[in-house]
Amino acid sequence: MENAGSARGYLTAREAGLVNCTTCGRVHPAAATVCLRCGAPLASRDTQSLQKVWAWWVAGIIAFIPANTYPMLKTATLGKESASTLLGGILELVHHGSIGIAAIVFFASIVIPASKFFAIAYLALGIGRPSRLSAHRRHQVYEVVEFVGRWSMIDVFVVAILTALVQLGSAASIHPGIAAVSFALSVAFTMLSAQSFDARQIWDADKEHTK
Amino acid sequence: MTQPTLPDMDILPAKHSPWRNLSFVWLVPILALLVSLGVAWQNYSNKGTLITIVFQDAAGITPKDTTIKFRDVIIGAVEDVKFTKDMSHVEVTARINKDVADTLSPETMFWVVRPEVSARGISGLSTVLSGVYLNAAWTPIEGSTARVFDGLKEAPLIRPGHEGTRIKIRSKNGTSLTPGAPVFFRGMEVGQLDTPRLSETGDSTDVEAFINAPYDKFLTTDSRFWNMAGFSVTLGPAGLDLNVASLGSLLTGGVAFENIVSGGQPVTNDTLFRLFANEAAARDSIFTQLSANSIKMSVIFTESVSGLASGAPVEYRGLRIGQITGIGAFIAKTATGGSKVHMRALISIDPQTLGLEATADAQATHDFIEKLVKDGMRARLATTSIFSAALKIELADLPDAAPAELADDADGTPIIPSVKSDLPDFTATAEGVLQRVNNLPIEEVMNQAVSLMAAIETIASAPGTQRAPDAILGLIEDARGLVGKEDTQAIPGELRGVIADLRSIVADLKEQGAAEQLASALKSFDKASADIATASGDLPALITDLRAIATKVNDLKAEELIAAVTRVMDSTDALIGTEGAKSIPPALASALTEVEAALKELREGGAITNTNAALASARNAADAVASAAKNFPDVTAQLDSVISKADALLSTYGAKSTFNSETLDLLRELKAAAKSVSQLARTIERNPNSLILGR
Repeated sequence: MENAGSARGYLTAREAGLVNCTTCGRVHPAAATVCLRCGAPLASRDTQSLQKVWAWWVAGIIAFIPANTYPMLKTATLGKESASTLLGGILELVHHGSIGIAAIVFFASIVIPASKFFAIAYLALGIGRPSRLSAHRRHQVYEVVEFVGRWSMIDVFVVAILTALVQLGSAASIHPGIAAVSFALSVAFTMLSAQSFDARQIWDADKEHTK
Repeated sequence: MTQPTLPDMDILPAKHSPWRNLSFVWLVPILALLVSLGVAWQNYSNKGTLITIVFQDAAGITPKDTTIKFRDVIIGAVEDVKFTKDMSHVEVTARINKDVADTLSPETMFWVVRPEVSARGISGLSTVLSGVYLNAAWTPIEGSTARVFDGLKEAPLIRPGHEGTRIKIRSKNGTSLTPGAPVFFRGMEVGQLDTPRLSETGDSTDVEAFINAPYDKFLTTDSRFWNMAGFSVTLGPAGLDLNVASLGSLLTGGVAFENIVSGGQPVTNDTLFRLFANEAAARDSIFTQLSANSIKMSVIFTESVSGLASGAPVEYRGLRIGQITGIGAFIAKTATGGSKVHMRALISIDPQTLGLEATADAQATHDFIEKLVKDGMRARLATTSIFSAALKIELADLPDAAPAELADDADGTPIIPSVKSDLPDFTATAEGVLQRVNNLPIEEVMNQAVSLMAAIETIASAPGTQRAPDAILGLIEDARGLVGKEDTQAIPGELRGVIADLRSIVADLKEQGAAEQLASALKSFDKASADIATASGDLPALITDLRAIATKVNDLKAEELIAAVTRVMDSTDALIGTEGAKSIPPALASALTEVEAALKELREGGAITNTNAALASARNAADAVASAAKNFPDVTAQLDSVISKADALLSTYGAKSTFNSETLDLLRELKAAAKSVSQLARTIERNPNSLILGR
């Protein structure tokens, strides 16, 4: 085997002179530019991947700021209107003793989005640089980020459902605030950011490093 | 052959512009940044202008939650509530929409709207659930820079921006004027009063009133305002008169206005009006404020003018045409060369009230009066009313008067010729009459009459009386026989002497004036009866009969007198026989006692004081009711005391008065109304939800 001598014990498609389709998984010779099976464009590496990652990432961060500073929900009860931000709502929950729920909300709305930013930034910065985590571990991190992304929309769903359900005229009504939109955008941007990350570059970096 | 080897040459690799590889995805964060910045900027620029409102207390104002409304539209919200440096006030910082803030005039009013229950109704109910809010009212101006305002303690009654006219009403005292009291025009509520304030000099009370459009067009410079405080009780020749305006005005007081004379000019804002104590005073005021072209004249009296005062009316055929402006004395030379003090009264006559044109000049009025004088118009003193010693000048048409002309005195003031008045001291006479009537022992007279009648009956029905005619016939027979006798012929001479004696006795009697005295007593009684009849309404027919007697007594025909007395006695007897009549004499006696007492007090000025005191206490009661309205549970108790006061007041005027029961009914109804209002208030107190749930 050609790769028998490799210290890492694996062979990348690029090294094998091949290119695979990221859409359907079929392997083509390196020269192929279009997938014969599904017609998707083929590229051994996406040269603009990092740029896209950073662009979406920045957009996500920008959207994340108003998501935390502006009110998420506007609640009107018997003529009294109160608006609560994400953090304000969590603090209120803590005040009322619902620490469990507060923890869930805090985890889902603050910790996860924030850690996603950190994870993507870490992965993107890790390309072309030595890293303490092995390539395999970093790939796992990437998988987790991609998987978790969609679940961050829970907040937005809650707001959407509450808004639809609690419309009792003057007695009580709930309207989404600017933060709800910003939050949804932020989540979408981070998902796009994670998606535009070309995970194969993790392996390249690893290879160059170990050579 | 060796190929020449090319030396390694330095080459500059093609420079790749970093921009060429730039992904278009970068547009997304840039766009996001722009949008965010845009939103932030818009948010900042729309944040509104910070203003400060200084209040006495914060009264439920909470930062962030309390909104500021103008015409029920939210224009801002309270940001912060804190004390002023000296801790004496509360500073409320609020953000007002920018475009609105630029129109705030420095006089902008801010007040806290909270639920309120008062005699005028319930307001601000919505704030029970939503909490208080600040209301603002102002007349918008352009480019205002005012940012600090004084908050009002209570909602202003008169808000800028309402269509209407703002006027000022001045009154002697403001006790019956409560803030928000209604202004009536012909019974319609057309405006309201603001809070009364003491004038700067402290001698009167000013209250601003606001007459809503379109009713303000009825307001003219000739409008007269009077107080409609609760109810009024007036004692006059027509008896007691009780007036009650609406229940609302009973609780809060109120003023009314009317255009008593026409032709006033439209008023502008801040016109000052005088408040009269009652409608009558307001109506009279058109005379006290004489028109500009009134003419000055004078009247000279040789008799006493005691009771004539400046401001007293001048009347022509009962219509007030002017007033007395001054009274003085001057020394006049008599025809015999001596000097005598004459009294001169200066009067002003309003040509308009005489039926002349409002624009009539002094000459035209002068000519007109000159003509009247030529036709016999003379001035004389007259009493203003039966109960009063006050005098007025009466211009009476006396065609039989000695001819006179309108002469000018030394000052050039025309003098209206006067005649001696025929009622110089009427009150004294009236009092004497009533005194005498009061002294008449009516009860004893009646008792004696009854026993007399009984005696007459016994005599008449006695068998001896039945036989009397026969005895008389015999007597006549005897007499005839007697006459035939010679002795009898001599009698006429003696008889003549007896007749002379009799004549002298009668003359003596005449001198003693017994008959006149009886006649005058009955005459007085007649007059008193007439007075009592007009004052008290229907008294039994007794009085009519008594009057008939009196007329007969005047004729001094003894037989008729006796017959009339008998008739009276008959009817008196019949009257005494009826159940109801038995109670009349004591009632009459006590009524007369009271009339006498009233007159006595009137003469001493005490009755007026009493009436004043009664009215004052009625007014105080109304005030107490007004203040009680703020505190509903107390209303019933207060009204109770009002009723007992009114009861006491009315009982002093006798139980026979017709208005009495009506007044008590009215007050009882008021009491019931107040009771139900207080019950409602208590229910609301116990169960505020009932306001919302309707139970």
